[in-house]
Amino acid sequence: MGRHRLIPDVADVVARFADRLHVAGIAVTPERAGRLASALDLAAPSTTAELYWLARVTVAGDRHELATFDAVFDEVFRGFVDVADSRGATEQPRLPPALERGDRRTDAAAAALNADGGTPRPSTLGSDRVGGDDDQPPSPVGAPASDHAVLRQRDFGSCTPEELARLRRLMSRMRIVTPQRPSRRRRRHARGDSIDLRASIRRARRTGGDPATLVRRRITERRRRVVLLADVSGSMEAYSRAYLYLLHGAVRALRAESFVFSTQLTRVTRTLALLDPERALSTAMAATDDWSGGTRIGDALREFNDRWGRRGLARGAVVIIVSDGWESGNTSELGRQMDRLSRLAHRIVWVNPRSHRPDYEPLVGGMAAALPYVDAFVSGHSVEALEHVLDVVASGVSSTHPVVSARRSGRG
Amino acid sequence: MNDAVSDPLAELVPDVAALGRRLADHAYLADQGLSTALFCAARLPQPLLLEGEAGVGKTTAAQALAAALDTRLVRLQCYEGIDSTEALYEWNYARQLLGIRLAEARGEALDDVDLFTPEFLVERPLLSALRHPGPRPAVLLVDEVDRADDEFEAFLFELLAESSVTIPELGTQRAEFPPIVVLTSNRTRDLHDALKRRCLYHWIDYPGPIRASEIIRMHVPAARSSLADQVAAAVSRLRTLDVQKAPGIAEAIGWVAALEVLGFEVLDAEAAELTIGSVLKYRDDAELAAARSFEWVVTG
Repeated sequence: MGRHRLIPDVADVVARFADRLHVAGIAVTPERAGRLASALDLAAPSTTAELYWLARVTVAGDRHELATFDAVFDEVFRGFVDVADSRGATEQPRLPPALERGDRRTDAAAAALNADGGTPRPSTLGSDRVGGDDDQPPSPVGAPASDHAVLRQRDFGSCTPEELARLRRLMSRMRIVTPQRPSRRRRRHARGDSIDLRASIRRARRTGGDPATLVRRRITERRRRVVLLADVSGSMEAYSRAYLYLLHGAVRALRAESFVFSTQLTRVTRTLALLDPERALSTAMAATDDWSGGTRIGDALREFNDRWGRRGLARGAVVIIVSDGWESGNTSELGRQMDRLSRLAHRIVWVNPRSHRPDYEPLVGGMAAALPYVDAFVSGHSVEALEHVLDVVASGVSSTHPVVSARRSGRG
Repeated sequence: MNDAVSDPLAELVPDVAALGRRLADHAYLADQGLSTALFCAARLPQPLLLEGEAGVGKTTAAQALAAALDTRLVRLQCYEGIDSTEALYEWNYARQLLGIRLAEARGEALDDVDLFTPEFLVERPLLSALRHPGPRPAVLLVDEVDRADDEFEAFLFELLAESSVTIPELGTQRAEFPPIVVLTSNRTRDLHDALKRRCLYHWIDYPGPIRASEIIRMHVPAARSSLADQVAAAVSRLRTLDVQKAPGIAEAIGWVAALEVLGFEVLDAEAAELTIGSVLKYRDDAELAAARSFEWVVTG
């Protein structure tokens, strides 16, 4: 090619660039690296901007990777080209700490570290918050309950770590099931309401082209999606943990989605699918830095509605919110967002562990604002109460167990 | 794979800039990033996954690519429960039944082979893209792939990987011109890693006010350039508000068209108040803009 080549040895540069991306947490498969090499060969970039876009389009696989990608690109190509003009005024993201460390590490060590190809970003994992069980304060209740029945009624919030571990085993046998809704798919069925023409014609060939028997089919049913929004601020954490365990097994089967919030909302669906709930929760918590600000339920719900719910994640779903309703922000915002959510979701089940106390009344500002939009209000504070939550989620009927049963009419 | 000399696209779009110019000729202003993405999709060739907020022009990008390459656009809109009979092919049963009756009436012997011939086949978008006769590959737009379910995604993935499909009665249909594939997603769910791995990826950002104004003028040629500038600036102002649905370029074009048809030559507070419904689609959002004052919307 006649054009001046920006990059002297394509294969070498691509390999080194891919290596740096690997260290920074972007998994570059040989397939992607090869694609970058072909693109460089095809388009022969002569400016850095051209090079940047070719590399980004072929190597980055998701929006979340773009900031890291930009940082690594700058790092690798700053040496012999000036990148400043390539992307206008965008702020330069900082390199993740792992990459800075990578500078001093030998290439062989870096390669060995990433040999499995799927290394998650070290900046969020491996945090010192992981060993949650060890640094929990001793339980206010003295002796651990040994009796099975007692354990079933034990409030999650007052369990010792050992008890929680035993409860976890109890809970692993529980299964969350959501109501069904008609799907668009049809399956063969003896008494179906429509005719499977393809199968009927095929069968007609046996009877000399005369469609003597019609093959019927009908609409199949599909389970509704379940979405968990769990409050992890302060004392709510123990309860939310229990619900994350519950949803752990449902990620595949029910396309369950999980979010945790305190001052901000974090999606943990993917971490929950890959890791065990304990690590997923630690990872999510490590990402939340502001712990003193209290719980902003309204803001968290708004972010959920804007970023996920409206686009289809909450449509027709059963939404479970685990929170005590202590809103440190604006309660009218909470009401507004609950209103929006209730128009998207099939049902909203609010789990409030405080509500099983006899003297409980939902007068806390946040709870009172949210209640008109809640289909079922339950306590769900122990394994026994959890079984009741499962019933409420599965049956689609209102609850009798709770102290307060707030229910709007006309929804199904 | 075709080598560069025999690639029918090499002459048409030798480099990224050439594609950018051709896109502009067909009323689509793509920035360098998007041009590069589309260029790689067409020339590598490799499926391209486009993501971005609603209204940034994902679907239009594929349409413009087809126009720029002077080839056919085949669009497959995904929805929940879409399956191969709706996406790939179906037999024309009514015609087959007629064929059987006709043969009976004429006293002819009828064989399986006579009923499952190409003339009884109903092409759906995927098959039609695979069987596109050329001279250049068709552009296959798989719109909102996140709406289809996992099963369909796997099926699509296999079809894209092979560029061929097997119809039991007819045998394997291999694409002579494998289509240029553009997928769009609204991120309502995570796509399979396998599918993502195969695709190029591009996130389309909102254009800045200057480019937005250029795009508006291209779509509403009757509009004065000062009006387009004003609307582009107003839209970027509205985007700074805490709105539920930030207006995109599609809304900006709609707004200018509305102002144009109403005979407004400049965007003032009164005009903005009357036409705010063409740019903000939620009542809460419109109230938010009103609270901030329409004077602010138009002048900042």
